[in-house]
Amino acid sequence: MARAFTDELFEAGRPIWEAQLVHPFVRGIADGSLPEELFKNWVRQDYVYLIEFARVFAWAAAKADRLETMSWHAKALDLTLSGEMALHRQYAARFGIAAGELEKVPMWPTTRAYTDFLVRTAADGDLADLTAALLPCAWGYVHIGQRLAEARPPKDQRYADWIAQYASAEFAAAAEWLKAETNRLAQGVTAEKRARMRDLFVLSSRYEWHFWQMCWVGEEFGPRSGAFPPAAAPVRPSPRD
Amino acid sequence: MDFCEEQLARVRPLWERMLAHRFLRETRDGTVARETFANWMRQDYLFVEAAIPFLAALIPKAPAEDWESLSGVIGALQKELKLFEERAAAVGVTLRGTPPSFVNHAYIQFLLATAYRASYAEAYTVLYAAEKAYHDSWRVVEKGIDRGSPWYPFVENWAGEAFAQYVAFLEQRLDALAASAGAGERARMAELFELTTRYEIAFWEMAASGEGWPGVEA
Repeated sequence: MARAFTDELFEAGRPIWEAQLVHPFVRGIADGSLPEELFKNWVRQDYVYLIEFARVFAWAAAKADRLETMSWHAKALDLTLSGEMALHRQYAARFGIAAGELEKVPMWPTTRAYTDFLVRTAADGDLADLTAALLPCAWGYVHIGQRLAEARPPKDQRYADWIAQYASAEFAAAAEWLKAETNRLAQGVTAEKRARMRDLFVLSSRYEWHFWQMCWVGEEFGPRSGAFPPAAAPVRPSPRD
Repeated sequence: MDFCEEQLARVRPLWERMLAHRFLRETRDGTVARETFANWMRQDYLFVEAAIPFLAALIPKAPAEDWESLSGVIGALQKELKLFEERAAAVGVTLRGTPPSFVNHAYIQFLLATAYRASYAEAYTVLYAAEKAYHDSWRVVEKGIDRGSPWYPFVENWAGEAFAQYVAFLEQRLDALAASAGAGERARMAELFELTTRYEIAFWEMAASGEGWPGVEA
């Protein structure tokens, strides 16, 4: 059987995906040791991220080449806005963040860069580009959720629920659909087009890693910070590590 | 007070930090390392390339009376690319083949996402702030750089009179757009003005430090 295009994508992004699994933020969720303040960074930044992520689903529906695709993205848009973001509001409440505060959260530089990248790709790319750029978020969270769910759940129920959510059948089905859609869109296209899709997939994967890093070290666009991004510690694992 | 004057006053501490950046000082004094400047050239070449679709994306949002000036900017950017190519050939720098740094990539996505998502006046704010930042920054370099420096043609381009007039034109147009904008749009314009300034500072910092893309490599 021919190898699926998404297997190629996974191979291309493997060092980054593996680095996400061992990132201290992700490990902290897995063993429950993540300081609450750092998780709150994630709740806040991911909430404003999801607003733009939802916008990209709307763009995908507009660019869809068939009804099934249009319908799926329309549902994904609704599920993001009313489902996943509602879950974020629940997490926020459990961590003492007021729901009204969430929408006013200022985007940190990495969130800004990642969402600008997605919106830009959605606007000037085609459906294949856009899908390749969306995939690392949808698939990556399920991948991480499922891997973490293989171990004993953390004692902190809030982190255990987070893992269960992203390891759930509903999120997994969404990731599987997007993978199949990516494979469909990669069929019968030129090698250059596939390379472009691969580049977009890797770029989003890199931003995914930066997102964990941002939540771990903290960032700001505040008055003291002219630099961008202010505190991303270089991590360059060798492929042999 | 007109919008541009008001915003420049508001972001003054950031603007001064930008103008005091070591990359500009070292370029002015002739102490900038050749590879540091070459790194800036490669990154800025990519940025100028991306500025062309940014300008083009403004045209469908612009009133017809602005089409000619916006097309003119696209033409000028194409000439700017040739200036980079000519300088690169003259000093033996390879422009192509370097991927954008993290900061450059983020700044380019910011430009394009703003052009696609924001209003005309909001996107025009980013155009003005970036061009004004370049004019003011290169004027710092102009005050003291050796005219025989291989980098002088860049100084002439951005610190020169023609560019000053272009920036003044953008300023006048942006002031008019801001005057007819509502309070909400003006607030978003102010936010974008500041964000552009921060990206400009970050760009000089990236050029000086040679930072590529921190984090994990694929």
